[in-house]
Amino acid sequence: MYDLEFLSPVSSGPLSTPDGGLSLEDASASTKVLVRAARNTAAGAHLKVTYGRSRHRRDGTLICGSRPGEWTLLADPGRGAELVASLPDEGFVSVVDITHGRAMFRLSGADSIGVLAKVCNIDLADDMTPDGAVFSGSVAKVTCDLVRDDRDAGRSYLISCERSFGGYLFAAMADACAEFGINVPAGLSVH
Amino acid sequence: MIVVPCPNCGPRNSSDLRNAGEVVPRPDPQTASLHEWRSYLYLRENPAGWVTETWYCRSGCRRYFTIERNTATNEIRDPGNS
Amino acid sequence: MSIHRLPIRSGELIDRSTNLSFTWNGRTFSGHEGDTIASALAAAGVEVFSRGMKYHRRRGILTANHWDPNLAVQVGDEPNVRAGSRRLVDGMEVTAQNVWPSLRWDLGTANRLVGRFLSAGFYYKTFMRPQFLWHNLYQRVLRKFAPGGRVHWKTGVHGEYDKRYAHPDVLVAGGGPAGMAAALSAAEAGASVMLVEQEPELGGHLRWGGPGDLAVLADLSRAVHSNPGIEVLCDSIVTGRYDHNWVAVVQRSHPVAPERLIKARVGSLIVAPGLVERPYVFAGNDLPGVMLAGAVRRLVNLWAVKPGSRAVVLSANSEGDAAVADLESAGVEVVAVLDARAGEDVVGARGRGRVSSVQTGDGRTLRADLLVTATGWTAPTSLLNMAGDRPLYDRTAARYFPQSLPDNVLATGGIAGDGSTTELTAHGRETGSLAAQRALRLRHARRTQTPRSLPPESDPPDEIADNRIPLRRSPHPERYRSTTHGLVDFSEDVSSKDLIQAAGEGFDSIELMKRYTTVTMGPGQGKLETVNAAAVLAESRAVEMADIGTTVWRPPFSPVSLGALAGRIFEPVRRSALQGWHEANGATNLLAGQWVRPDHYGSPMTEASNVRENVGIIDVTPLGKLDLRGPDVANLLDLVYVNRWQKLEVGRVRYGAMVAEDGVVSDDGVTGRLADNHYLMTTTSSGAGAVWEMLEDWLQTYRPDWEVHVTPVTGGLTSINVAGPRSRELLGRLVEDLDLSADAFPYFSVRKGIVSGVEDCIIWRIGFTGELSYEVHVPSGHALHVWESLLANGSDLGVAPFGVEAQRVLRLEKGHYIVGQDTDGLSKAPTAGLGGLVKLDKADTIGLPELRAAFERTDLPVLVGLQPDEPTVVPDEACQIVAAEGNEILGRVTSSRMSPTLKRSICLAQVDPSLAPAGTSVTIQLVDGRRVSATVQEHHAHVDPEGVRQRV
Repeated sequence: MYDLEFLSPVSSGPLSTPDGGLSLEDASASTKVLVRAARNTAAGAHLKVTYGRSRHRRDGTLICGSRPGEWTLLADPGRGAELVASLPDEGFVSVVDITHGRAMFRLSGADSIGVLAKVCNIDLADDMTPDGAVFSGSVAKVTCDLVRDDRDAGRSYLISCERSFGGYLFAAMADACAEFGINVPAGLSVH
Repeated sequence: MIVVPCPNCGPRNSSDLRNAGEVVPRPDPQTASLHEWRSYLYLRENPAGWVTETWYCRSGCRRYFTIERNTATNEIRDPGNS
Repeated sequence: MSIHRLPIRSGELIDRSTNLSFTWNGRTFSGHEGDTIASALAAAGVEVFSRGMKYHRRRGILTANHWDPNLAVQVGDEPNVRAGSRRLVDGMEVTAQNVWPSLRWDLGTANRLVGRFLSAGFYYKTFMRPQFLWHNLYQRVLRKFAPGGRVHWKTGVHGEYDKRYAHPDVLVAGGGPAGMAAALSAAEAGASVMLVEQEPELGGHLRWGGPGDLAVLADLSRAVHSNPGIEVLCDSIVTGRYDHNWVAVVQRSHPVAPERLIKARVGSLIVAPGLVERPYVFAGNDLPGVMLAGAVRRLVNLWAVKPGSRAVVLSANSEGDAAVADLESAGVEVVAVLDARAGEDVVGARGRGRVSSVQTGDGRTLRADLLVTATGWTAPTSLLNMAGDRPLYDRTAARYFPQSLPDNVLATGGIAGDGSTTELTAHGRETGSLAAQRALRLRHARRTQTPRSLPPESDPPDEIADNRIPLRRSPHPERYRSTTHGLVDFSEDVSSKDLIQAAGEGFDSIELMKRYTTVTMGPGQGKLETVNAAAVLAESRAVEMADIGTTVWRPPFSPVSLGALAGRIFEPVRRSALQGWHEANGATNLLAGQWVRPDHYGSPMTEASNVRENVGIIDVTPLGKLDLRGPDVANLLDLVYVNRWQKLEVGRVRYGAMVAEDGVVSDDGVTGRLADNHYLMTTTSSGAGAVWEMLEDWLQTYRPDWEVHVTPVTGGLTSINVAGPRSRELLGRLVEDLDLSADAFPYFSVRKGIVSGVEDCIIWRIGFTGELSYEVHVPSGHALHVWESLLANGSDLGVAPFGVEAQRVLRLEKGHYIVGQDTDGLSKAPTAGLGGLVKLDKADTIGLPELRAAFERTDLPVLVGLQPDEPTVVPDEACQIVAAEGNEILGRVTSSRMSPTLKRSICLAQVDPSLAPAGTSVTIQLVDGRRVSATVQEHHAHVDPEGVRQRV
């Protein structure tokens, strides 16, 4: 077994405004595990959070209630097997490592709400979409799963989509960031 | 762009969903006559008024659900409340 | 050059310390920051800005604001710019529109001589026939005389338009005193507010008022701008209100884009557009120098422009009286003030190029270069109408008022009634509070219903009744038309005479009259002319105004550029993990649905031959892939495929075809069983999304007791087909602990394994190309490594990549049909040759009754292999198969290529069953009309029909 590098669908490095106030970075290599479990299973009880909310588990895993009866576990790269094994599997439970199947970005900064408002019709006001909110919607015409996962008390969103849309969506997000001062590198055009 | 009250996600823009049309019961394929089957396939009430229809929350929870919608006013109510 | 610029006015918008240079029809002018294009030109003495649409009469300033029908100009390559409101920018190149060859010498004036032909219904009567003249004459000549600026199809100047979404609790349309007050009180009540004003600054009519008005304006404006709960958008227009308070705003003056479309979902919409001053209908009312009272007040007070030297004022209201005072303060000699309230009147204005005399109702002729009218107001109720309201005419106030509004739409300001500034702002404040209260209740409900939101900490705000004290309706004389005829619609050149004629011809309902005469259908969209049109119609039918009704006001409230509607264009594309490699290695791309993929790498025919002779690899990632888990997967497969699935063993794959409930073939693919309760299904590339949604529908709606979890894994597994007689040898070099021999890994089976060090690969042995082949599904983050390893380890075997075109050729040689190409929206299962596959004795399967019925029919088209008798003729796909004699259509070619293996043309075709037997000769009509013969083959497959090559 070779030590293989994970190749992301996004070829661009992190982008940010000169003052660092707004940033967009690829997080596709993160471990992503999809869990489907009926309400009465041990897995469902273990994961706890309900649809629309998320929590950080002590081991650093972000557990997202991504749909009714469905959870997405997000963690650092390389933890797929460990996360899959961490779940009780009695009953009708499916655990699928979707690390390779989803592109993911992190968009951070106070202006991130303005960036998303250009490409996404979801109300991101603090009371409608507070820190920890998990939701899905169309982002630049691609269906995405989003988590508001604030960092250092600043607004931050994790945005994930089907892997094959990753290159396009990163470019579309970068384009939306341009209004707020991010310099979009040549070759990262949406058109 | 109407707002569709998804029972799981809350109110959403209709562009986040797909209207799967009027609810039409599916006949038993073993016993249905061709006429009954084709009524199921093709015939709809299409009223200017209340209709029970199925929506698929495509960009959201990915669940199918039914609502009652007034096609003349786009007023929407839960089929449980009618 | 600013010969008409007045000394400093207290409320002026211009910054006299600036100098902006611009051109008008090629001549250089200058103005100040704060000037509109029109005010700068008027200050410089320009009197004529455009020509009328039909008669090409000279036109000057009429309203001096956004609604001025005479001030549409071309700025650079931007057409139809409203010079009455567009602020001057240094370097602007402004030209007149709708003139040829020039504004001064306009040939279109000749239309006046034939004016009787241009009367009501002119278009319908004139351009009916002969039809051939449309292309040859009418279109070309009419374009020359048509109104509107020049659209440049290729423009580099405009930049990209933009779009955004917004979710304000309260959106206020109109930034006058009532609108500003409403925004403030709504924000104070805790609502998020968006305040939209079409002019570049807030204030509405206060802007051209006296010191008291200006003081109120300054206070309100400061409060609004400093309130963090209010987003202020000036130079922006609310263009439409749609179902469930979906509101469109076009925002101008934004740094990133010339225009930006804001799509807002609004809790409460407050409509506060103020009132639009109405022109008066009399002979000569379109002469330059005839202006509305508001126009002269704006020119004098906002831009310090002296609008004339000798004025006659016809006044029916306080605006007219104020205009008299403003004119006098500007040094204009007011020759006469005619009090319309006392029955005084104007019957005509005369002059060449500009007013030189005014005829009064009592027979006097007064020498004047300016005629100012103040005859009343139009309530621009468009947004209310879009919310379902049908405003009612009030004859004592001589205008329309809202009648009944939904709870989420409220009106305030002049549209709701009259009052002092204090009364208007008081009404605005009450309206803002009420709107906020209603919106916050909705917000509370939305938070309760939305699982991601913060649950509300408190009960919803109490519902409060609408206890606003209504604004009064001040009496106003009904003055619409004098005793003479004049223009009603200035942008469409429709006169009162035209309207009366139309009524006489029977078009005497307002909606019919509108369409027949085009009154209200121009760029003004009725703001100035609707009420006058209704009044003329009422007069001609001798009925009350209230009985006439109004035309329906639809979006947009004001014309919107197409760029703004298009906004940012998002066209998602999908790329496999290997697409970068393909592009770096000479691939010519193809857009298949949303997927960008290699069509070929230079020579599709060579690529195809290499698969038959050696080994090729192709990226087939776009194949839809669905991971299916659970104890009921076999039941689900039995339901959605026409064939049987209960006995598929672990390690085996099977081909399956799907039909819809109407029996029409909808998708196909192979599905493999990876473990007891774990399957991998593939679908067509284009059908992946629909199949997924269909599976979910069955599982959620019809079979909720079945336990199956569906996970799309299309992009997560990069699919590489290794095809050709040497594929086993090539793949054998890369797999670990996997026996690829025919006995250990037979045709139509599936194994999991390590390929080139990459774990969790799924390999199945199938053959779309007809060769020995393995489809390797690799976790996408490591796919490039596997792809490159295949190439690096197979150079001695002749390995080469092949693209979609080579695959199409190979599959056609093998006779595999493609759903959607060789079948269509009417192709039932028997047509596709699925007779051997379909099992009609299942308890349930999608479309079962239709399948049963279809297999009893003998008249359905049949898909056959077909070869043109002349081997070099390759018919275009979709060529018709016709009867040997005559034109009866008996089928069509669905796929067609030159076969590199057989060195001849090969086809698949759908034919009438009478032509289906092997050996039948059929006639193909080619695109150029020639007919060629072709022979129906025994099999769909042209190469290796027995399937020997793929089973080795």
